[in-house]
This record gives sequence, C-alpha cells and structure tokens, in this order.
Amino acid sequence: MSLLGFFQWCEQSGIGDAIRRSSWLFPVIEAIHLLGLGVIGGAVLVVDLRLLGLGLRRQSAAQLARDAQPWLVGSLLLMIITGSLLFLSEAMKCYYHEAFWFKMTSLFLAIVFTFTIQRKVIAAGEARLRPVWSKVVALVSVILWSGVGFGGRWIGFS
Amino acid sequence: MQLRLLTLLSALVLALCYLVTARSAAPDWGNAGHPIHVIPMLSLQMGTSPGIGGALLAFFSHLADSSWSVGLHESRYAYDLIESVHVWTLCLFFGLAVMFDLRLLGWTMRTVPVSEVARRLLPWTVVGFVSMVTSGTLLFLAIPLRSYQNIFFRTKMVMLLLAGLNVWIFHSGVYRRVATWDAASVPPRAARVAGALSLALWVCIVLSGRMIAYNWFDCDRQPQRPIINFLTSCVPTQSEEH
Repeated sequence: MSLLGFFQWCEQSGIGDAIRRSSWLFPVIEAIHLLGLGVIGGAVLVVDLRLLGLGLRRQSAAQLARDAQPWLVGSLLLMIITGSLLFLSEAMKCYYHEAFWFKMTSLFLAIVFTFTIQRKVIAAGEARLRPVWSKVVALVSVILWSGVGFGGRWIGFS
Repeated sequence: MQLRLLTLLSALVLALCYLVTARSAAPDWGNAGHPIHVIPMLSLQMGTSPGIGGALLAFFSHLADSSWSVGLHESRYAYDLIESVHVWTLCLFFGLAVMFDLRLLGWTMRTVPVSEVARRLLPWTVVGFVSMVTSGTLLFLAIPLRSYQNIFFRTKMVMLLLAGLNVWIFHSGVYRRVATWDAASVPPRAARVAGALSLALWVCIVLSGRMIAYNWFDCDRQPQRPIINFLTSCVPTQSEEH
C-alpha cells in the first residue's frame, strides 16, 4: 500500500468517520491533546531549564529527568493516542498540509533526541562534560519540542 | 475559616455572574421600526440594554470597529501567529504550574524542597503568565464582541479569577509556614488541596480556552435554551426566537 493509499484508508476508517460526524468529538479530543502538550512542556522544561542553569540548581539533571520521566512518557502516550484519533478524522487534509509533515519530522527527532542523546548527556553528569554541551542539548530539545507544538497548531490553520 | 472562604468565593462568583450578564431592562419587542444595530454574523439589540452588561456590550462592539481590532482580524498571519505564541507560552506557564502543583501533591520531585521549586520555577510561570495574558488580550481584541458573548470565554474568565484566588490563599496561608514542611515528600493537607484545586482549575481553563473557537452556543445560532442566552447575555430578535 502506498503512503497515499494508507492515508486514504485512515480517512475512510470507521473511527475517523465517527469523529467527523460528531460535532463535539473532535473539539473534545483536541482539547485533551492540548492538555497533553502542556504537561509535556512542563516535564521537558524542568529538565532543560536545569541544563541551561536557569531552573532548579541543587538537584542533578539526572535526578530531575528521573522525576519528570513518568509525566513526560504519560503525556506523550496521551498525545499519541488523541493525536492518532484526530489524524484518522482528517488524514487527507494532513497528507496535503506542510505543517503536518513538519510536525511529524519534529516529533520523530524530538523523541529520538530526548531518549538517546539527551539521556546519554544527562547520565554522563556535569563532571565529565563541558557545561556548554548541556546547554546545547537543552536548546536543541526546546527547539525540537517547540517545532512539534507550532507545527501542530498550524495544522489547524489553512 | 473555611466557611468564610467558601462564602467569599460564592459571593464573588455571584457578583461576577451578575456583572457579566446584567440586563436591567427587558427588551422592548413591540417597538417595530426601532433601529436595531445589527453586527454582521451577530444580531444584538443595542441601546435597549442599559446596565453594566449593556455598557460592556456597547464598549466591545465599539472596540470591534477600532483599527487595532480590524487590523488583527484581517491580517493574513497576525491571528495565527499570536495564537501560536499563546499555545507555546501555555507550555511554559501551564506546564511548569502543573509541575509545581504535582510537587505540592507529592507526585513528582519528592526530594526537592518545595521552596526551592517555588523560587526557581515560579518566576518562569510568571513570565509565561504575562505572555499568555498579553497574547490572549490581543486574541480577544481581534474578535472582542463574539468573545465577550462566548460562554466558554466567560467560563474561562471566572475560573481564572478562582485560580488567582487559590494562588493568593495558598501564598498567604500554608505557604507562609513552608519552612516547617519544606522537605516533606508529601506536603500537608492544605498545600495538597491548593495543588489539587490549582491543577483542576488550570485544566478547566485550558479546556474552556480551546472551546472558545467553537460556536455551538453563539448568539447568532438561535434558538438556544434560555439559560444559555442568559449566560451569554444574548437577546435574540423576535424572528430568531422560533
């Protein structure tokens, strides 16, 4: 099945159809999606602000990352579930919308970066790394996750 | 103490409901030929609704005609950009506020003293809040009249006040004694209640904020239930009532 075929299949799915036919399902799912984004923002920022030296100071970034992890993963799962539902209801619009592809690219990079490179850098600890690297990693993380948020918002604009 | 707070709270909500919905005089249906100020997409009777509600209505419809409002509304990208900023700063404000509330509940960062979280992270929530209010005001300015009569917008404003009250109660109450429970992995009951209330209120504020975009209860979609028209201070014209 081609990519276009897959998107068409999604668009025609029963779930997508049910969401399209309801006047309130899409808005409610979308609002929950937005809540998830906010919580991801908090969980990401607690760690990134620590790495930038602008947030909490006395705790290690590793400790904060461990504390924030369940909230990051939990809200990410919530967003993927609600996001998939939203996608099913307007797959063809997404296929032709640049913002959708921008968002998916950012999301892929953000997830990979957070759970590989950033995790390694944090685990290495401040002692073994030059401080500038922590800051670069935090900035990249903020930029990638912001791309996900902006891209998502712009899917709604035509 | 708690009873007094509850009374204060309910009085505040009631006063606010009155202020936003007050229409002292009943609209005069019989006055045919009376000029009715019809705003495109919205039909409202102007001039027949004195009182604070009517004055606000007149003010916001005046605001809608201002060059600021028209400029924001008609620009190709201004509204979308400001809304994106609003969403981005939501992550900053709401995200960090949630993390602080979760700390108050003892659900995250349990080894970090509460005062440390407050001192290092709450300034960011202030930055986020100021940005949200600024971008939110601009969004309101772009569509003032419709927003003012939108039921979700009104719900959001009431809950914003309650959230502010909750912050004030927390900081002037249990947080003053933070030194005695700073390192507790699970803070005392009063702090947990403040955290839970704050969490619930901000979640509802985000939800209702998102819903402002939808027009299910807008004035131009009559007939609506009388309670909805009361809450949105809509006065449907006679032909719309049926």
